[in-house]
Amino acid sequence: MKWSQFFNTSIGKKLLVGATGLFLCSFVIVHLAGNFQLLYNDEGKAFNAYAAFMGHNSLIQFIAWGLKIVILLHAFIAIQLTFSNRAARPVKYAVNPGNQTSSWFSRQMAIMGSILFIFIIIHLANFWAKFHYGEMPLHTYPGQEEPLKDLYLVSQETFKTGWLVVLYVIGMIGLSFHLIHGFKSACQTFGLNHKKYNGLLSFIGIWLFGIAIPVGFAIIPVVIYFK
Amino acid sequence: MEHYNMNLTLKVWRQKNKNDQGRFETLQAKNISSEMSFLEMFDVVNEELINEGKDPIAFDHDCREGICGMCSMHINGRAHGPWDGTTTCQLHMRAFKDGDTITVEPWRAGAFPVVKDLTVDRSAFDRIIEAGGYISVNTGNAQDANCIPVDKTKADLAFAAAACIGCGACVAACKNSSAMLFVSAKVSQLALLPQGHPEKHSRALNMVAQMDKEGFGSCTNTGACEAECPKEISLTNIARLNREFIGAGFSSEK
Repeated sequence: MKWSQFFNTSIGKKLLVGATGLFLCSFVIVHLAGNFQLLYNDEGKAFNAYAAFMGHNSLIQFIAWGLKIVILLHAFIAIQLTFSNRAARPVKYAVNPGNQTSSWFSRQMAIMGSILFIFIIIHLANFWAKFHYGEMPLHTYPGQEEPLKDLYLVSQETFKTGWLVVLYVIGMIGLSFHLIHGFKSACQTFGLNHKKYNGLLSFIGIWLFGIAIPVGFAIIPVVIYFK
Repeated sequence: MEHYNMNLTLKVWRQKNKNDQGRFETLQAKNISSEMSFLEMFDVVNEELINEGKDPIAFDHDCREGICGMCSMHINGRAHGPWDGTTTCQLHMRAFKDGDTITVEPWRAGAFPVVKDLTVDRSAFDRIIEAGGYISVNTGNAQDANCIPVDKTKADLAFAAAACIGCGACVAACKNSSAMLFVSAKVSQLALLPQGHPEKHSRALNMVAQMDKEGFGSCTNTGACEAECPKEISLTNIARLNREFIGAGFSSEK
């Protein structure tokens, strides 16, 4: 089987969705670690220095563009699979089993993914586009010669708007519900289903990616709003 | 368990043939014993229909002891009804109460076209088996069975996978109409045994290719198949199929 055929099979496409998904899982960890600097009480010195590094380091920029392609690839193949999965049942059932045979989370991947996708677009417009292509306030910290783009200030101002905070929290609920099933599901697609590791994988999928990370992300705008 | 009789309202899918649109028909099933199987209840209803000069409800059945996998009924939203690990013939009427309304539909999947009423055409499964669900055996004397050592644990896993009766409940229960549990059971039972090893790569690739060609959906790991399988085939088989397929895809020279 040629590569072109291999990645055109149902399992091949799922492997691509799983691989891109796991890469995105690794990304959210790094992103959250960076974001926590927004909670420092240093007028954004650490965060802005970090943002300047991330924005100018060519390796990071290479990965950042790769990341956007990965998100699009993940969404595109998943949508393609969703449509072919729907088409596999032309006449629907009159009565459905609901939660009796499968978890609610596992059936809402497309919806949660769509919420997440809309969130990502708004999020990029709010910060990434402004940082790279828009007018940014500058801040020169004591002991530094070059002024830094004050992304810290932009985030503080952005999250003074109530509905944006709500939107970010909804986005993170989408992330949570998507990853509660997504991480474990990607592992299963790669054939990782073993008595000795299933407990650990469930724990990582639900508690780390499904709860801790989305809550960590959501806390930041809420804290800024009430500060 | 105490015996009781009940009157039921049945909403049954009626469809003349493959090209007919089909619709639900409401029927009354009177004086049904709690000791009857679900299929026996249908026998009673059909006899009445025949006495009235009407067309009886077509449904598939063969062994009526839970091993043939013919009774493709989706009952109140559940493949083979509300009980776990049973086929429709092993579902008994004590699962229902007097006055219940029961909705009965055929398996719904593009790859399983309805032949008539509750009978579906599952020959797509046969074609998947033909694509690689076998071992090639040369002619000549069979060698002594005990000369190939088989690990007991693996033999047990292979046996558990071989319990699959090809009933299609996994496809019926899956929101994507995916046949992955079926294909994974058929691949696993051979992949786990030394006799299955020589053809393991071509088997995984060909069976998955045929599965896709038949129009089954892809697996999103919801686990509904495992929950509904009358033979309780495990999801670990799907992981094994994925490993077999990845291994075959990455190493095949074609």
